[in-house]
Amino acid sequence: MRAALAVTGASLRRVGRDRRALFFLVVLPIVVIVIVGATVRGFSTVRVGVVDLGAGRAGRSLTVAMQRAGNLDVRRYPSLDAATTAVARGEVSTAVVLPRGMSSAIRSGRAVTVAVMADRANSTQQAAAAAVASVVAEEGALVQAASFSSSQGLGSYEQDLARATTLQRRAAQVGVVTRIVDSNAQTLPQGFGYSAPTMLVLFVFLNAVASGAVIVETRRMGLYERMAAAPVRQSAIVVGETFAYFTVALGQALLIVLVGAMVFGVSWGDPLAASVLVVLWALVAAGAGVLSGTLFRTPEQAGAIGPPVGIVLGMLGGCMWPLSIVSGFMRQVGHLTPQAWAVDGWTDLMSRNGTLVSVGPELAVLAGFAAGLILLSTVRLRRVLA
Amino acid sequence: MNVRAPPADPEGLRAAATGHVLSCTGLTKSFGRRRAVDLVGLHVDAGQIYGLLGPNGAGKTTTIKMVCGLLDPDEGTVAVAGRDIRDLAVRALIGYVPQEVALYPDLTARENLAFLGRLYRLRGRVLGERVDEVLEVTGLSDRARERVEAFSGGMRRRLNIAAGLLHHPRLLVLDEPTVGVDPQSRHAILERVRSLGAGGMAVLYTTHYMEEADRVCDRVGILDHGRLIAEGTKRELVARLGEKDRIDLVASGDMEALAAACRSVPDVATAAAVDGRVNVVAGDGRRVLPALLEAAERSGAAVHSVEVVEADLESVFLHLTGTALRE
Amino acid sequence: MPAPLLIAAKDLRQRLRDRSALVIGLVAPLVIAALMSVAFRGVETFHFDLGVVDADGGPVAAQLVRALHAPELSPVITVRAQDSEFRAAAAVRSRTLQAAIVIPPGFSASMTGARPEPITTLASVNNALAASITSSIVSTFTAQLDADRLSVATAVAAGAPGGRVAALAGEAAGLRIPIQLVQRPVGSRELKPVSYYSPAMALFFLLFLITFTSRSFFVERAEGMIERMRAAPIRPSEILAGKALSVLVFGTASMGVLALVTTVAFGAYWGSPAAVAVVCLAMVVSVVCLTALVIGLARTQRQAEGIASAVVFGLALLGGNFVLVSAEPDLLRRLALLTPNGWALRAFTDLATRGGGLHTVAVPVLAILAFSAVAGVAAVSLSRRAVSA
Repeated sequence: MRAALAVTGASLRRVGRDRRALFFLVVLPIVVIVIVGATVRGFSTVRVGVVDLGAGRAGRSLTVAMQRAGNLDVRRYPSLDAATTAVARGEVSTAVVLPRGMSSAIRSGRAVTVAVMADRANSTQQAAAAAVASVVAEEGALVQAASFSSSQGLGSYEQDLARATTLQRRAAQVGVVTRIVDSNAQTLPQGFGYSAPTMLVLFVFLNAVASGAVIVETRRMGLYERMAAAPVRQSAIVVGETFAYFTVALGQALLIVLVGAMVFGVSWGDPLAASVLVVLWALVAAGAGVLSGTLFRTPEQAGAIGPPVGIVLGMLGGCMWPLSIVSGFMRQVGHLTPQAWAVDGWTDLMSRNGTLVSVGPELAVLAGFAAGLILLSTVRLRRVLA
Repeated sequence: MNVRAPPADPEGLRAAATGHVLSCTGLTKSFGRRRAVDLVGLHVDAGQIYGLLGPNGAGKTTTIKMVCGLLDPDEGTVAVAGRDIRDLAVRALIGYVPQEVALYPDLTARENLAFLGRLYRLRGRVLGERVDEVLEVTGLSDRARERVEAFSGGMRRRLNIAAGLLHHPRLLVLDEPTVGVDPQSRHAILERVRSLGAGGMAVLYTTHYMEEADRVCDRVGILDHGRLIAEGTKRELVARLGEKDRIDLVASGDMEALAAACRSVPDVATAAAVDGRVNVVAGDGRRVLPALLEAAERSGAAVHSVEVVEADLESVFLHLTGTALRE
Repeated sequence: MPAPLLIAAKDLRQRLRDRSALVIGLVAPLVIAALMSVAFRGVETFHFDLGVVDADGGPVAAQLVRALHAPELSPVITVRAQDSEFRAAAAVRSRTLQAAIVIPPGFSASMTGARPEPITTLASVNNALAASITSSIVSTFTAQLDADRLSVATAVAAGAPGGRVAALAGEAAGLRIPIQLVQRPVGSRELKPVSYYSPAMALFFLLFLITFTSRSFFVERAEGMIERMRAAPIRPSEILAGKALSVLVFGTASMGVLALVTTVAFGAYWGSPAAVAVVCLAMVVSVVCLTALVIGLARTQRQAEGIASAVVFGLALLGGNFVLVSAEPDLLRRLALLTPNGWALRAFTDLATRGGGLHTVAVPVLAILAFSAVAGVAAVSLSRRAVSA
């Protein structure tokens, strides 16, 4: 036992001295959580550009209406050209062009056409255009009412517009009620609630696999032979090394959990179930890390191949995008990775108030992965030591 | 750019005038406030093996780097075959063998040699012949297609030296080529150096092993704290000691006290302690011995054995510097 | 062969022999681009099945159903009639429908009263976008109804006599909202995820060359090979040129193969080959300069690895190689333009969406070269030390 701890201590000390390792352990995951967290808001809002060529009252009023709409994220552009570029680059899904002379046309009772940029075959743009249409229609209703009323000779346009605005706010309208028919949320909450757990799953694993390089190096420097020459049982070295990887993985996971909770206000769900999930994930990572240390021949290989492997598994397992958006086949393939089960576990805990019981299946699968990987890595490491 | 046009000497007239293959004058190099090399001047002629002797940190490697143009001297000049080392083309006249094995482990022996040969402007058929020749000499012909990482330490050493000979240099510079080498390979290396000298090559050889210098070098320079404190043939240097012997006392106890006690004995020139031994240089070994043992007993050290040897380079070094060479 | 070529050829031979270089340069970016293209295949075209339950059967309900079949909506939705709200809800739960609309009984009749019946949309918690688009479509329709009701109400509020309400309502029913939305083509290609992530991943792994090359430089120095080269009759600048050349060749080859394979195999669209080549070259030049800078800054192999990793991941994160940069907030998008890879990605995005040739990429290429120049100038003084040390 003491020998195993000595092996753990030596490995941990080496990690602690390596500033590069600290960068990957601490700095990188947090930066990624911030960037991804800031980006992943867009599952339910539509980004819309607005070009107000006339800059009149009617244009301003319509722009404000769009800004107030809950499902639109409005960005203003100074020219048609800038807006077209933004649509092409995908910075906004569509752009609305408010024509010159809009205010005067409306006041004189003429119809105004507002252009919305959307190609017929581009469904993202079509969807965005549909979202814009409802806001424009609501604004148009006011104009219609004011024009109608004033055309009946019942007050000026301005007066009637003010009346219509008040009435629109007060009078009963044809409501649209949305009923959510299922409670089984399949995706994580948006923002940091999305990025923190997925990046935890991604980085703890990726980092462990990449740091398999340390074992390769230890092997190459003949340190294992030296340890084996000491009066130490082989199992002590294996346990010690695995425990070192587990400690690093757990430390990194806890750091992400704490920073997520305290700085970004992420709520990780049921504490007991979350703790078990974190510990199991650290075990999976430790097994994978030691295994990679026994599979690669040179530290360069571990450093070069480890991260792409971690990234690919992360993509398959739903760390980069929710698996609910991919095809059924890709979802099944994804669930061959432990990452998918871990993300499912977090989804249950964070989006559906899951408990130890409800995430039981995910935890069981992860425990299986952990046991399998640790067993495999133990066998491999023993062979390397022998 | 540290490459300057060399002084015009198209036919190597100065080399012909002096006859030296390597000629260094007033070489000086400081690192910060420390003078690593201080006004060193030396010459090596064709067919001569020049040993640069000195303890670790004496300035041997710095001197060698200046000779090979790897380091610009603060002052002084280096000329090879009469041409200034700052002329890039002059480097093709030098074969440099670094102390550590400098070869790509992931390339094969042949690939390494071909690469280095091309750097020294060998081309086509000549390159092929030279690579074959070197592989033949090192006995690696049948393993030429294997990667260097698969070679044993001795094979790598041999290849390391051979790589410096590909372009048939006029001056071969070896930086401690025998450090960490097993006795058998060491013997082979020394023999090879000797035969190269015999073949007419000028050789500059650094070592801190006295017996190596004793065995192979025609001429020796002793370097200490960056200064060349003595130079000459081995015979000349020993003669400078006069009629002196070296007495080695193998002892235990306070070695520094023992060395001090020895120095107090009349007719003792110097005495210095080195790992479990005190080396003494004295006029007539046999006459001084009783007084020496008496002094040793007074100092409280226990002397286990005594050996009186004829003066050699080690004695010279001890005499000149007051310290033993091996540290 | 001149010395730089010789050194570059030797470096490339070592790169090719070391499998990890091939993984970084080719295999990893290809696998990841392939994965992304497969994963996003369903997302690229946003289209969903919308259920409709007409429990009303009145004229207004019929109008709504007609509106749903409008040609503008056909790329986005396929309308499926359902018998009951219960069935429709079950279908949404089981994902055979992504959303549904329920028109309640008495809907048409309630339009003239003070309390119009609401329309219910059925949505899944897992498809927020379908939910929001469905309610947008319905709202657009109800907006006209509301506009007509509002017109009458406003007229009444303005003093129209109570007896005229029915007449007014009849008149208002013929109105059309005076602000009409017309669709105008964007005139650019759609940016498919695979067309974004193929260059993004190629660039990310191109940046990895910085880590790779700077590490191998220090390994070479530790092996004594840099010194051995310097003892040969070649200039230090020739050694640096050789190293730079090998990065140039390896980087360009890697980008080129990726562009070709992702185009042929995954249907990525890169745009004008000449412009793509120029951007790639500029990017490789900046990688060369950054590598030189890392080598100049670091003193040991470990330091080089540390600095290089920070540089590579810092640039990749800021530049948008991991997340679609266009979806980022303004500040991050502006920060992306401080990185050469951010400019390169913008150039590739513009080429893929708006087409055009060299003139499209002129500004990004100049920006990348300016960045390279800054890094290069900083590197030159520092690298000299690294070679001679």
